[in-house]
Amino acid sequence: MSPTPDTTAAENGGSFDPQQAAALLEQTTQQARRELEPYPPWLLAIRGLGALVVYGGIWLSVLGQHPYAHPTVVAVPGAIAFGIVNTVATFAVANRATAGVTGRTRLRASEIVISLALWIGVFAVMGVLIATGVSDSLTYGLYPACVPLIAAGLPWAAIMAGRADWRRCAQALAIAVVGIAGLFAGPAGAWLVAGVGICLVLVGTAAIVARRQRA
Amino acid sequence: MPDDGLDPLIHVPTRLKIVATLAALPEGDALSFTRLQDMLGLTPGNLIIQLRKLEEADYISSEKTRNGSVSLTTVVLTTRGRTALDSYRQALRDLLGGL
Repeated sequence: MSPTPDTTAAENGGSFDPQQAAALLEQTTQQARRELEPYPPWLLAIRGLGALVVYGGIWLSVLGQHPYAHPTVVAVPGAIAFGIVNTVATFAVANRATAGVTGRTRLRASEIVISLALWIGVFAVMGVLIATGVSDSLTYGLYPACVPLIAAGLPWAAIMAGRADWRRCAQALAIAVVGIAGLFAGPAGAWLVAGVGICLVLVGTAAIVARRQRA
Repeated sequence: MPDDGLDPLIHVPTRLKIVATLAALPEGDALSFTRLQDMLGLTPGNLIIQLRKLEEADYISSEKTRNGSVSLTTVVLTTRGRTALDSYRQALRDLLGGL
């Protein structure tokens, strides 16, 4: 942060006029909001655009399939790599921003365990779908494109509602809605709906956060 | 309160920065002493003096916890402190005709 004006002079009735105070208050508030924001706008925007590229790539890889089979082997590693990088980067940035912060901003151990269990459950169910020979359009289309969004969005919305964090609650609900909308778009269209939907939600949230930080 | 309506306890650069930084957290969240010191670039001694003054006015509260040999001091802006900052911000707006 910028150097602080001479506090001793100010306490002794020195010069700290209202204009200086207003500028310092605005600058400090904006800087603190930026430093303490666990999900900064630039990261949200990159994640949104990354999701558009990855889901869009999968959509292109399945576009011409009649009947629907599965995403090509070229698209899948990219999606997995994006998922890993996305998760690691998000946790790393959030951890750094919330270092030294205690209270509702920090995730509780139980919330992390529940989220992890849900993710493992999502992939376990997919394994069951494969093992039981359910149609490819569900196993490799609708389910992986949409269900993870619903499984991530709804619990996250509940956690944020419990903390009265309505902005993040709305964001999580929007992700779940994208997943639900994808279910109606068919196995190929689901990937496109998911990619565009996630991108819109994350880039929109980035704009809201950036605006709040400047307010 | 002086004629200009600016709370003299907050109308000091260092304390204004402390209160504004703590107010950037969601209500009820606390910040560790070391992170606050790091964000504001203050010496521990200076920060302790300013925090003490704010705590005496019930604008902040601090809590010291001990985990083995490591002690952690956290600072939180109280509801009274948040209200005081809101009033201070409004007084600045009134004085300057919009912040």
